Amino acid sequence: MTAKPTTRIVRVLEDNLIFLSLIGIVAFFGFASDRFLSLTTLSTLLNQLPALTVLAIGMTLVLISGAIDLSVGSVLALCAGVIGGCMTLFGMPLPLAACFGVLAGALAGFANGSLGAFLRLPIFIVTLGMLEVARGLAYIVTDSQTVYLGAKVQSFAVPISGIGVSASFLTALALVVAFEYSLQSTVFGRQIVAVGSNQRAAEVSGIDPKRVRCTVLVISGALAGLGGLMNASYLGSADPNAGVGMELSAIAAAVIGGTSLMGGRGSVVGAFIGVLIVSVLQIGLAQIGITEPTKRVITGAVIILAVILDRWRVG
Amino acid sequence: MTPSATPANAAEPGNRERRPPAIAATGICKSYATEVLRNVDLRIAPGTIHGLVGENGAGKSTLAKIMVGLEQSDAGSLSLAGAPYQPRSAAESLKAGVALCAQELSLIDDLSIADNLLLPTSSAQARIRRKAADERALQALALVGLAHASPATRVGRLSLAEKQLVELARALATGASLLVLDEPTSALTVPQSQRLHEVLREQANAGVAVIYISHRLGDVLDLCDQISVLRDGEVRLTRPSGELSEAALIREMAGVDADFEASERGPVAAMPVHLSVHDLRTAALPHPISFECRRGEILGIAGLAGSGRTELLRAIFGLDKRLGGAVRLDVGGTSVELKGTKQAIRCGVGLVAEDRASEGVFQDQGLAFNVTVAGLRRIANRTGRLIRSREASAVAGLVRELRVKSDGIHQPMRTLSGGNQQKAMLGRWLHCDAQLLLLDEPTRGVDVAAKLAIHEELVRLRDAGRSIVAVSSELDELASLCDRIIVLSNRKLVREFQRSELCQEDVLAAAFSEYA
Repeated sequence: MTAKPTTRIVRVLEDNLIFLSLIGIVAFFGFASDRFLSLTTLSTLLNQLPALTVLAIGMTLVLISGAIDLSVGSVLALCAGVIGGCMTLFGMPLPLAACFGVLAGALAGFANGSLGAFLRLPIFIVTLGMLEVARGLAYIVTDSQTVYLGAKVQSFAVPISGIGVSASFLTALALVVAFEYSLQSTVFGRQIVAVGSNQRAAEVSGIDPKRVRCTVLVISGALAGLGGLMNASYLGSADPNAGVGMELSAIAAAVIGGTSLMGGRGSVVGAFIGVLIVSVLQIGLAQIGITEPTKRVITGAVIILAVILDRWRVG
Repeated sequence: MTPSATPANAAEPGNRERRPPAIAATGICKSYATEVLRNVDLRIAPGTIHGLVGENGAGKSTLAKIMVGLEQSDAGSLSLAGAPYQPRSAAESLKAGVALCAQELSLIDDLSIADNLLLPTSSAQARIRRKAADERALQALALVGLAHASPATRVGRLSLAEKQLVELARALATGASLLVLDEPTSALTVPQSQRLHEVLREQANAGVAVIYISHRLGDVLDLCDQISVLRDGEVRLTRPSGELSEAALIREMAGVDADFEASERGPVAAMPVHLSVHDLRTAALPHPISFECRRGEILGIAGLAGSGRTELLRAIFGLDKRLGGAVRLDVGGTSVELKGTKQAIRCGVGLVAEDRASEGVFQDQGLAFNVTVAGLRRIANRTGRLIRSREASAVAGLVRELRVKSDGIHQPMRTLSGGNQQKAMLGRWLHCDAQLLLLDEPTRGVDVAAKLAIHEELVRLRDAGRSIVAVSSELDELASLCDRIIVLSNRKLVREFQRSELCQEDVLAAAFSEYA
C-alpha cells in the first residue's frame, strides 16, 4: 500500500487546502501592499477576530448537527446590552455582568433549541424569528442608545503587554482548541456528528437527536453571549446595532473551513481558518485601496469558490 | 379516455393473436448487489390482463420499473406493439403510452387532486387551464368510483385508500395503451377493489393491455386472463388463469424443489424466556401481538412486505409509540419492562434495520465510528473522553471476529461493500454486548459469500447464548436459520411453526391468509 510520492504530495496539499489558501492570500497582500506585512496589521487583525471566532465555533457545531442558527448576530448584541445594563444600572463588576450576558445567550439558544427540537418547528424559521426578537430586546435593554462602558470592559480587549494579543483573543483561541478537541474526542462530539450525518440511524443507535440539537443550540447561544462581551470590550460600549449580519459571516467562515451545510462534517479549526481568511481579506483589500462594494463582491466570490474547492476535494 | 390502440379490433378476441404483443420482454436481466432478474421473457397481448405473482424479492417490482423506464435492464430488450422500446425515464414511457401505478404512491400531498392528475402531462402545456383540468379530473375520478371527491381537494387530506384510487385515476387518465399496476389494491376494501377490477376489465375490452401485480391471489385468479409466476428472478410459468388454482400458484412461488436444511440445535424449550411480548399494539399494528423468544433461540418472523414485520421490531425496540401491551426482557434473571430505545440498548438489545442506507450506516463516517456509535461509553472514560487505543482495539477485534474486509478501521463506510457494511451493523451491537438481536432482513443486498458468513455468525451467536429475532422475506433463509417461525399476515400474527413442522408452502399460505 505505498502510494506514489506525487499522489502523496497531492493528498497532503488537498488535506490542507484551506490553510494553504490562507497563506496564499497573506502572501498576495504582502506583495500587493508594502504596509500589509506589519505588526500593526497583525495586531489589528487579531484583536478584531475574537467575537467572530466564537460565533463561528458555535455555528460549526450547529451546522455539523444538521441545524442552523441565524440568530447569533442579534443575540450577541442582546448580550452586550445585558452586560452593559448590569454594569451601569446595577453596578455589577465585569465578571458577574459577563456571567449574566452569557446566561442570556444560553437562554436564547435554549429557546431556539426547544422550539426547534421539541415542537418540531423548522430551525431555520425559529432562529430567523429569534434574530428579530433578540435584536428588538437589544434595543429595549439599551434604550436604543449605545451604552458607554469605557475602561472597565476594555481591559479584556486591550493587548497584553509583552504578548501583543488580548485576553479576549487568547480566550477565543483556547475555545477553538477545546471545542475541536470535544468534537474529535468526546462522546458528545461523536453524537453531534452522528445526528448530523444520519438522524434516523442515530436514533436507532440510541442517540436522541432532539436533545443533541438542543444542547448544541444552547452552546451556540452561550458563545454568542461571550461574543457580546468581546464585542463590548473591543468597542468600550454596548452597541445595540452590534453584530448585524454577523451570522452570515460566521456561516461563511464555517463553510470556508470545510463544514457541510447538510450536516455530519466539519471542523472548528477549519472554521477558525475561515475566520482568518475572511478577516485578512477585509483588511488586505482595504489596504490595497479596494472600495467597500468591490470588497463585498470579492468576499462573496471567495465563499463560493471555497465551496467549489471543497466539493472537488471531497468528491 | 380512448387509448391509442384501435379499440374496435382489439375487442375481438380473434384478432389478438395476429397483432404484435402490447409489450414483449426478451431476455431481461438485472442485478444490483445480487441478481434480481434472470433472462425474463414475457409477452402480453393487447386487450388482456396479465397477472404477475411471486414471493417478496422475486423481481416483480423491478420488472415493472424496467418497463416504465424507472430502472434500466442490464441485458435483454423490450418491444412495444412490435417496435423497439427502450425507455430511459418515466416521461419517455408515458409518451410511448405506458403508465405505471406504483406500489409506493407518487402523488404530491400539497397539490390538489386535479393538479396531481396533470403532473404526467403538464410539461406539454405551458399554461394550466383550470376548468379543463377540473373536468378531466372529475371524469377520471368517476372512473375509479371517487365521484364524490372534489378535484380541488388537497391530496394530503385523503385516506390511503383514496390516494391509491387517485393514483390509479391518474394512470388511467394518461390514456396509456399499457397499464402497469403494482399492488394497486393493497389499501383498498373489497368493494373498492371490485370496482377497480370492473374498470380494468372495461379498459382491457377497449384494447388496453394491463399488467397486474398483486399478493392477493384470489383477485389475480378472478381478474386476469393470463398469470405468470416469478421466482428468484425467473419466470417459472405462464398460463391462462382458468388452468390455475391458488394452491398451484403457491406451490410454484415457493418452488417445490427447495429443500429445508435442518439446523443442528438442541431443544430450546428448557431455556428461560428472554423476550416476552404481550398484547403489543401500535398505530401500525392494530391487532395485539404476543409471543416469546427463549434464550439461545433464533426466532424467525415471516410475512409479506407490509405485513407489519418491520413495525413489530421497531415497536419492541421502542422506536414507534406503543398504544398498548408490554415488552419484557430478562436481564440477568430479573424481568425488566422495555420502554424506550436507549433503555433497550442499555439492557442489551440491538436492532439492525432493514433499510441500511437510511437507518443503519453513517455513510460519510469511518468504520470505527459506525461500529462504536451505539456504545460510545465503552470506549470513553468517565468524563466522556474517547480513548483512541480502546476504540482501535475494540473495533479491530470485531473486524477480525466478523471478518469485515476493510483498509483499516477508519475507512469511510460508503466505500465498503454491502456485505461488509452489514457485518459492521452486527458489529455495532456486538460492541454493545447485546444479548438480544432484532434483525430486519439481515442479508438484504449482500452477496452470496457474505450471506453465508452472516448466517454462520448468527448461528455462532445463538450457540453462545444470545437470542435473535430475525425478519426475512426469504423462506429459505428463515428455514435454514430459525428454531421457530411466527408468521404475520396483514398485521396479524397468524401462525407459529416449530422447526420440525416447517413446510414452505404452509408458511406461504399462512402469510397470504389474511389477504382474502
